[in-house]
Amino acid sequence: MNDKMLVETAVLAGEIMLTSGAEIYRVEDTIRRMLEMAEMDKVEAIVFSTGIFVSLGRLDGETITVVKRVKARSSNLNRVYLVNDVSRSYCSGQLTVEEAYAKLKEIQNKLQYRDWMKILGTIGVAAFFALLLGAGPVEWLAAAATGAILALVSRKLEKAGLNNFCVNVGCAFSVAVTALILEMVIPEMNADTVITSAIMPLVPGVIFTTAIRDMLNGDYLSGSARIMEAVVIALAVAAGVGAGMAGIQWFLGGGRI
Amino acid sequence: MIVQTLGAFLAVFSFGLILELPRKHLVLAGTIGAIGWMIYLLADRISGSPVTAAFVSSLAVSLSSHGAARVKKAPVTVFLVAGILPSVPGASIYRSVSCVINNEPQLSIHYLVETLQIAGAIALAVFLMDSLFRLGRESGKPKKASFP
Repeated sequence: MNDKMLVETAVLAGEIMLTSGAEIYRVEDTIRRMLEMAEMDKVEAIVFSTGIFVSLGRLDGETITVVKRVKARSSNLNRVYLVNDVSRSYCSGQLTVEEAYAKLKEIQNKLQYRDWMKILGTIGVAAFFALLLGAGPVEWLAAAATGAILALVSRKLEKAGLNNFCVNVGCAFSVAVTALILEMVIPEMNADTVITSAIMPLVPGVIFTTAIRDMLNGDYLSGSARIMEAVVIALAVAAGVGAGMAGIQWFLGGGRI
Repeated sequence: MIVQTLGAFLAVFSFGLILELPRKHLVLAGTIGAIGWMIYLLADRISGSPVTAAFVSSLAVSLSSHGAARVKKAPVTVFLVAGILPSVPGASIYRSVSCVINNEPQLSIHYLVETLQIAGAIALAVFLMDSLFRLGRESGKPKKASFP
């Protein structure tokens, strides 16, 4: 078996999982299981939220070490799921290393849903969250409209190349402003519910959950990094909503604070 | 309450689209979210505390996510992160900010603490279930070649 190829394959598997938002424990475990198939003396895998270090070798021979810096991070559960599948079938002997590598390359850029479906998803979260909170049909529709604005604004801001913090502030700002303008047009609407529902796609629930699980597995470094990420996003959302509300109040108050 | 549970199902389903949840598991993830929210509503009615409700509902979501992951042979994350969405304290964060804007600092701190408490309750619930299932895995199976 080609050991170099195996290491590259395992690192690729780990890289895809890490960039797709898997827990550190899962990434390390997947890499280690794949490398253990080579039955070498030394198998090491260290994964941080920003990089992967892998080492494979014999006590009396050469050691192959690969370091991989990982930059982009997002949530893509499908990729985590597919890589998990590939590693399972490799470890049970159903795939060769080359086949596994080809499959992983395919997974690397795979997107299941088109962009408009994701926009629909954002609108859906906002609208159905209002429903979940027990709001009436007026809030329901307003939340859907606010969600649509949110989806458009976030696309525009991301394309403009702003950093994550500014994107979140901008998105939350647009949510607050849209909801409060809608409240002026439709006075019987409850803007609180609409804003609460429409910021849900922004609130860092996913990162928070993953952070907790990292901490539990003893990956304190990555766990605290993710907790900080969640806190920063929450602050950005809070700042954006606050700025939007204050801005509207200032506007209504005739420009006085 | 039925309408709200349906809302939770659809909300988690839509959230799954954003997270690129595997297509064949979308409905199951939505169902887990809906069960979680139903339990949240019930617990909230009985105890009157959103923190307790978030704890109990996260416990239920984690339990069913671990179960689903084992049956479907998929990572737990797939079901867990989407299903937890309804309990995430977005409302408390918002209220905390809106109280600052409306010049009510006392109330704002109250909601800030509530946000942290709910986040802590969710964390504790996920912790507990993860540990419980780990216990079962370590003792129940032989060490060789078992995938979590």
